[in-house]
Amino acid sequence: MSTLQEAPSTDDVLAITEDVWRSLVGEDEGLVPAPPAPGPYDTASPWSATVTVSGGWHGSITVELGDDLARSLTRRMLAMTEDEALEDADLADAVGELVNMVGGSLKSILPGPSALSLPTVAAGRAAFGTETVEAARLDAHWREHALRVSVHLPTNPPA
Amino acid sequence: MRALIIDDSRTMRSILRRIVTGVGFETAEAGDGQEALERMEDGFVPDVCLVDWNMPVMDGYTFVTRVRDNPEWRNVTLMMVTTESEHAQIVRALAAGAHEYVIKPFTPEAIVEKLDLLGLIARESV
Repeated sequence: MSTLQEAPSTDDVLAITEDVWRSLVGEDEGLVPAPPAPGPYDTASPWSATVTVSGGWHGSITVELGDDLARSLTRRMLAMTEDEALEDADLADAVGELVNMVGGSLKSILPGPSALSLPTVAAGRAAFGTETVEAARLDAHWREHALRVSVHLPTNPPA
Repeated sequence: MRALIIDDSRTMRSILRRIVTGVGFETAEAGDGQEALERMEDGFVPDVCLVDWNMPVMDGYTFVTRVRDNPEWRNVTLMMVTTESEHAQIVRALAAGAHEYVIKPFTPEAIVEKLDLLGLIARESV
């Protein structure tokens, strides 16, 4: 029998993601929430990053964004100009830190005590297991680039 | 003043480096607690360590306990800078010897204010 746990609301995810985004990118241009897009995150050359939470609450938090947005975010975070070359390792590190901060902040509003995993980052769209269910999803834009943050719960969390 | 920035994210180290060099610190960096201990054993004894909690190899909490176990490093100020925001974990870190605790996301002003409260910033740099 599945026993789904408490999940953060999309408003919670939005508020936390906006805070994190503001701290990383600056105050000048915030995220703009978008109507939920159906289906998997769909963009060319996506990046995805996930952290898992285990303990008083079990679940995962995933961020997905396109290569253009990942590059803009990384340049902002590293204070690099458009002329400076970025390597995949730079993007992976920046996207990993983004999900780490979003996931850590979400963990703080969920039942605990829980542990936050180190981020796993992929140059590609996130894939979710059949034994998880999406509990919250935020679609947003920054400078016309799409960003998705989703929260997944296991259908059968550990007792 | 010298700051040792300890975080497994190069991006976060870069952000923190810009903040603390902006108020006059000389910096060094480490990607985990073990590497930070090695930097200190090799002679870079900082005035303050900015310490992430969740890191591979050696986490920030273990690093804090190891620093506090060494009397030669009793004057090193330890500031946790982490997403770990559960009350029990904050209490645990402070009990282990951390002096300050900053939760990510943070503003540059929050970091500078904490360093100032700890008496680590020259007045002309604030």
